[in-house]
Amino acid sequence: MANFNIDAKQDMTYDAIVIGSGISGGWAAKELCENGLKTLVLERGRLVEHVKDYPTMNLDPWDMEYRGSLPPEVRQKHTKGGRSGFIGETNEHFHANDLENPYTEVKPFMWVRAHQIGGRSILWGKQCYRWSDLDFEANAKDGYGVDWPIRYKDLAPWYTHVEKFAGISGETLGLPHLPDSHFLPPMELNCVEKHVKSRIEKEFQGRHMIIGRVAHLTEPLNGRGKCQFRNRCDRGCPYGAYFSSNAVTLPAANATGNLTIRPFSIVQSIIYDEEKGKATGVRIIDAETSEVFEYYAKIIFCNASTLSTTQILLNSTSNRFPNGLGNDSGELGHNLMDHTYRVGAMGKVDGFDDQYYKGRRPNGIYIPRYVNLDEKTKSDKFLRGFGYQGSGGRANWSAGANREDFGGDFKDSLMKPGPWEFFITGFAECLPYHENKVYLDKGNLDKWGQPTLAIDCEFKENEKAMNRQIRIDAKEMLERAGLRDIVDFDNEHEPGYGIHEMGTARMGRDSKTSVLNGNNQVHSCKNVFVTDGACMTSSSCVNPSLTYMALTARAANHAVSELKKNNL
Amino acid sequence: MNRRNALRKTALLAGSAVAAPSLFSLLQSCKQQNRLEWTPQFLNEDQARFISSFVDTLLPRTDTPGALDVKTDIFLDLVFAKTYDTKAQENVVSEINKFNDDCKAGFGKVFADLNEEDKKAVLKKAESETGKFNPSVWGTAVGKQEPVGFYRSLKSMAIWGYFSSEEIGLNHLSYDPVPGEYKGCIPLSDVGNTWSL
Repeated sequence: MANFNIDAKQDMTYDAIVIGSGISGGWAAKELCENGLKTLVLERGRLVEHVKDYPTMNLDPWDMEYRGSLPPEVRQKHTKGGRSGFIGETNEHFHANDLENPYTEVKPFMWVRAHQIGGRSILWGKQCYRWSDLDFEANAKDGYGVDWPIRYKDLAPWYTHVEKFAGISGETLGLPHLPDSHFLPPMELNCVEKHVKSRIEKEFQGRHMIIGRVAHLTEPLNGRGKCQFRNRCDRGCPYGAYFSSNAVTLPAANATGNLTIRPFSIVQSIIYDEEKGKATGVRIIDAETSEVFEYYAKIIFCNASTLSTTQILLNSTSNRFPNGLGNDSGELGHNLMDHTYRVGAMGKVDGFDDQYYKGRRPNGIYIPRYVNLDEKTKSDKFLRGFGYQGSGGRANWSAGANREDFGGDFKDSLMKPGPWEFFITGFAECLPYHENKVYLDKGNLDKWGQPTLAIDCEFKENEKAMNRQIRIDAKEMLERAGLRDIVDFDNEHEPGYGIHEMGTARMGRDSKTSVLNGNNQVHSCKNVFVTDGACMTSSSCVNPSLTYMALTARAANHAVSELKKNNL
Repeated sequence: MNRRNALRKTALLAGSAVAAPSLFSLLQSCKQQNRLEWTPQFLNEDQARFISSFVDTLLPRTDTPGALDVKTDIFLDLVFAKTYDTKAQENVVSEINKFNDDCKAGFGKVFADLNEEDKKAVLKKAESETGKFNPSVWGTAVGKQEPVGFYRSLKSMAIWGYFSSEEIGLNHLSYDPVPGEYKGCIPLSDVGNTWSL
């Protein structure tokens, strides 16, 4: 794959440094390399090469000694991230070790981290939705947070740019507040999803149910194969069918000959030159040897993931920036957001007993936001809005545990598919609150002697009011769609469960109230760019990764153009 | 001896008169009931006999293999040994012992030594007395999951051990490791049994 700079000290100077190799770092590397910049990607974790390092990609349950369960000594490494319920033998090796990477939960916050080439792009949910001016204008309209310095029109061409290369499957709908992407063919709904869709759309004026828009190829693209519907994505895809840095952006960056990747490189801080008034490079700690190195470049892209990027900026102090690089506003570390998670309803659907499906679709349905779009849909209970994800399918043998039965007939009946079930679960926007924050905990150092992060964040009344509405609406939709045995729920998860952490180095129009400008440059240190989730000024209710991709591509091309003009 | 025990003895006599098993099969069944043919990694012999007997009562052989045929008991012992922490292991032991103590109190024998009817009676009672699992979304239970009780959780594990076994997954459920496509609506008759993956 790439030109690995594992111990070469001679190559210390590059045109650009990218910190992090996940979704946004991969895009930064691709755009910068394709524009001719010699680019060094620093990744704190290990090397993961596409296909070669996907050891579990083809394992059936019985191929694993414990059929996917983890021994206690392995589970112990995931006491925090493991709360997600997502970590098992098939993907454990792609999750960071919580013991070696401690953080403090001032209030409960689940932080899922993935330290390797590709980062969380190997593990993500792949749901991709464009944001709209409903999102970019939200702060300005209701006064929470600061105004975004950009609008949808600024980002629209960049959405198209990244979608064409990433490959997004979906169906056009024509909603102004959920703009259509450049789509590959959509995946199919199953019988019950089609049925529920028609009932909900008939019963509720203005509500829609669509197949999820996802970064999975439904047609081959640029040498990548299409989805084979195995639904083993989080083990790494041998076909390269879903978007990951490993399968998509890093190979493209590497093809230019301009890419160097250095794994096991923990960025300790960004080096600021007081005389030049700009950053000149980064200081790293080798994760394996603890040796310290410095690398230099004209521009630096921060893509370490939302909280890690802010951790690096906070740790980058100088005479000019005693409170962290670019922190003139005092907002660095503040305004942390996530989406609320696992609030909704589920039920059973009668009447399709002779129907089934083929394939394990790594995707579900989506119900776009329908509240607070305009005066007519305005809620008097909360600001902003929410959308739902969900899916329908037939129960399998695992439902047998609850059946009050046992014996031979019971066992044989479990060989057949069970009843059709359908669920929806909401994702609500979180307002940007200054007091939801992270800060360096200098009393708690990690194994490399670096200050760890303390996270002090909670959902407040607006998010809780939305969760109540999500639950009520979910139940009502399923009832009026004719489902039975409906269970509505709110797991009251703390922030972090959405794994959509955003903010802490927000974009804005004014350097007094924000960290980044409209091109993702640090206001007061313009050759440093932040284009991961840290840059987000508000959180929308739709999944953020596609927007990180578009913002990154836009900022990288801006950086190249500014470099050419000698402005950086 | 209580009334149930007396009835059970009568039933056993009647059964032997009708079925007239050969000496060989009687020996075989004694051997199956009383001696383990595998070496547990975690459980002691009595506890292992309980697990074997439990999974066999829950998921016996029919036209398709039973839990013992696919070694569900041996798998569960391995799961206890290798994936349970000390506290969970201690809990399994104490719950199995308690289950057997209850059988002894009610029937004078541990679960593995009960006849089929009494085993079924014990499980039926446990069915009615233990809680249920909440439904789950994306791998996690929704709402607040109250403890379900030992019977329910062991039943769940036995079902998992049985249906995730290679024999059942490959040869009895519908196995399709690389579907290659998603078709949302097809006749169930085109597939037959539930997908194994």
